[in-house]
Amino acid sequence: MDTRRRTPQWSRLLVVVALLAVACTSGGTTETTGEDGEAPTTTGGEGEAPATTEGGDEGGEGSGDVFVHAADDEATTVDPAQVEPGEGGETIITQVYERLIEVGPDGPDLVPGLATEVPTIDNGLISEDGLTYTFPIREGVVFHDGTELTAEDVKYSWDRAMTMDLPEGNAGLLADIVAETNVVDDLTFEVTLSEPSASFLNAVVTASVASIVSQDAVEANGGVVAGEVNEFLTANPVGTGAYELTAWNRGENFQLGVFEDYWGTPANIDVRIDIAPDTDTRILGLRAGEYDMMEIDPSLVPDLEGAEGVEIYSGEFLLEPIHIGFNTRFEEGSLPPEDTIGPDFFQDPLIRRAFNLTFDYEGFIAGALGGMGGTVPHYFPQGMLGYSEDYPVYEQDLAAAQALFEEAGVWDEGFTVSVIAEEGNLFEVAALVLRDSMAALNPAFEIRVLAQAEAQFDEAHASDPVPYAMWVKNSDPFADPDALMNAYIHPDGEWGTVHGMREMYQDPDAIAGLIDEAGTELDTDARLALYEELAPMLYDDPMWIIAGNETALNAHRDTVTGFVMNPLWPRPSVKFAFYDK
Amino acid sequence: MQIRDYLIRRLMVLPILLIGVSIIVFTLTRIGGSPIGIYLSHEMTPEEVEQLEERYGLNEPLPVQYLAWAGGVLSGDLGWSGVAVAPVTAVFGDKLTATMELATAAGIVAVTLGITLGTFAGSRRDRLPDHLTRVFSVSGSSMPDFWFAILLLIVFWVYLGWFPIGRSDPAIWASIAHPTGLYTVDSLMAGSWQALRDAIWHLILPAMTLGLATTAIITRMMRSSLVEELNEDYVDAARAKGLPERLVLKRHARRNALIPTVTVIGLSFGFLLQGTVVVEILYQWPGMGRWLADAVLRGDQATIMAYVLFTSVLFLTVNLAVDIIYAYLDRRVVLGS
Repeated sequence: MDTRRRTPQWSRLLVVVALLAVACTSGGTTETTGEDGEAPTTTGGEGEAPATTEGGDEGGEGSGDVFVHAADDEATTVDPAQVEPGEGGETIITQVYERLIEVGPDGPDLVPGLATEVPTIDNGLISEDGLTYTFPIREGVVFHDGTELTAEDVKYSWDRAMTMDLPEGNAGLLADIVAETNVVDDLTFEVTLSEPSASFLNAVVTASVASIVSQDAVEANGGVVAGEVNEFLTANPVGTGAYELTAWNRGENFQLGVFEDYWGTPANIDVRIDIAPDTDTRILGLRAGEYDMMEIDPSLVPDLEGAEGVEIYSGEFLLEPIHIGFNTRFEEGSLPPEDTIGPDFFQDPLIRRAFNLTFDYEGFIAGALGGMGGTVPHYFPQGMLGYSEDYPVYEQDLAAAQALFEEAGVWDEGFTVSVIAEEGNLFEVAALVLRDSMAALNPAFEIRVLAQAEAQFDEAHASDPVPYAMWVKNSDPFADPDALMNAYIHPDGEWGTVHGMREMYQDPDAIAGLIDEAGTELDTDARLALYEELAPMLYDDPMWIIAGNETALNAHRDTVTGFVMNPLWPRPSVKFAFYDK
Repeated sequence: MQIRDYLIRRLMVLPILLIGVSIIVFTLTRIGGSPIGIYLSHEMTPEEVEQLEERYGLNEPLPVQYLAWAGGVLSGDLGWSGVAVAPVTAVFGDKLTATMELATAAGIVAVTLGITLGTFAGSRRDRLPDHLTRVFSVSGSSMPDFWFAILLLIVFWVYLGWFPIGRSDPAIWASIAHPTGLYTVDSLMAGSWQALRDAIWHLILPAMTLGLATTAIITRMMRSSLVEELNEDYVDAARAKGLPERLVLKRHARRNALIPTVTVIGLSFGFLLQGTVVVEILYQWPGMGRWLADAVLRGDQATIMAYVLFTSVLFLTVNLAVDIIYAYLDRRVVLGS
């Protein structure tokens, strides 16, 4: 018989409860800041790079001493030569790298960055023929690896991106316009363009791909190889920005430390960017005070409005309208079997206009965007050079739409067409609104909404030809109308080629001529006059349905100070160097 | 048949099963789309897509791609994780230890509570404690983990501020070395009570969430097994020879009731690992589940394949271990018969 004395079960339970209580009461007040708040690894000195560790939040300080931003996706690279516009890596590149010219905090105005002046014809830094730009380089700027910035670094950075020419990157932005780069002296960089460009400063020099990297750091870590990724730079930025990357815990967070040797006004507070893909977690974290800031879209406003300690910023419009594309460049029979249209369907401008008149803009903006958005003239987003309130804008007009569909001869017969969109976001909602709008107009008009995972959508979207007649996405956030026109409107441009716009436009040469002329016109007034001529043509011959343009939104704790936001900065359109708390 | 022979036989079958699983999963993931999707941007030209396909060997025929992948696995190269932006092998260990730690903590919660509650209820059949336990087990197994997690987050994170999310306080994590990658173990090895407390503090909510359903299952299994065993003749015999009820329960009935329960526990550990996807996303736990979810959404097939291989090995190993434990627990079991 067992005679050992046994501990009663209830007493074990008490021990467990006591341990839990200790954990609860002590954990919540922990305010350890580590070794004087120092991050475990830092860039600095001899091209040393930050650690990119796994498995924990190495480095950083307690959340009271660090500004925490909740991001919804992870970066795939922080190399300016490799990053895709709009990708998560741009958030980091914006903070740790600098460009010759920057977009200032207020609107589209350009301010000097690593160059001491913004080139103009008036100050003589742009040649009379508009082909040569001279950039006086700022003296005394040091990279995070301790080396000093010279014009050689600038030339090296631009040449590097163009030489690597990575398919996932944006080197074409430089290569398409830059004919030659030259070092005049240690502090003077000169670039010659292949043709005059009105958008060179706004769209090219300020882009992530034009960020300046440390030549010494790159050369010490793999150098430049055409067509090949530099794995060091992919994870280890060596720039001149107000922040340096001190740790990248993949899938967890980025940690940005204040760069003490920054040439300008130093940043105020270290930053941690937590990767929090779940929306509920980000919202709860902001409400709990765990996060100081998060990027939001209109659908999240009701979850945060009125929450204690949370402020919602609503500012200018984003420069990335949500649009629905018409594709005619697909092979007969390549669409989903349910689709009844052929390649010539959207070549009819009557049908494209009718689609534009059928879409329920008001419903989409009031519902999906929560009233925080607006309609967009083709194709000039609010806030961009060339936008005018006087330009014609599509509104829902079912009677006019019916008349056009009848005139096009498809009213009685009807049609079925599939539209693809990334699932679970505003793009899918826009597609659903289109479906409902068309069905309300005529039950014989069937729009099949195919919501796809991001990777599937990207694959279909990048196919040639695109195997669907319609898709929904937002435009890239271009800083200059010429870049936007060439991407989305020009008959021989990026999407013009993919969608077959030359066959769709009634007068493609006139459209192309105006876009090309405006793109090389350095006189702003003359340029605006060209866009004024273009706008009604684009309205009459629309290549897209522009569902709406979102208002720039941000949610942050009320303890955040120095808040500024500019939609022209890469998402989330903030620069942490301005902030404190 | 000896246990050794049984083990050898099972281990010989293991690679065949793994090859079969890998072929099926490789084929199925490719049906879902090309792995190139993760590298594509919205504005890439077809020529740029071709360049990428060439870079990653995705322009080869499917069998060649499979053999290249399988060859890589055999040489310790599981491919490049587009989500983690690193070789899969470079990040796998850290993700795995994070998940193992969470699953183990959830397992401890589930086993401890499940067996205790099951015993408690089974030995008080049809009395109030039994009814309450059954209510708990039914609600526990039917409550969606994402909902339970959000509930806990709202109460204990947002309003009470007792527990954090994530895996650690960054500064405390950085204050100790991490030779094993298991925060609790590392903190014990470092002799840091502060780190241990931090580790447990971060584990509590996700472990409770993850362990809830398993607790309910174990409770129900333990209860019903115990009720069944208490009706057996040998229990009456034990009572008849004068053994105290406590010893009858612990030495005889509970020991036998544990046999089917252990089977369930073994299987549950695998399910605990799979269940980490939702929990890790919601609690910002940097483990395999969250990595996998991201990989699936973004089409990172190297990561998906690595995860499937891992879970296949794990399931097969755990099943083997359970069979062996089963045999030890019940000596009447004749292996191979």
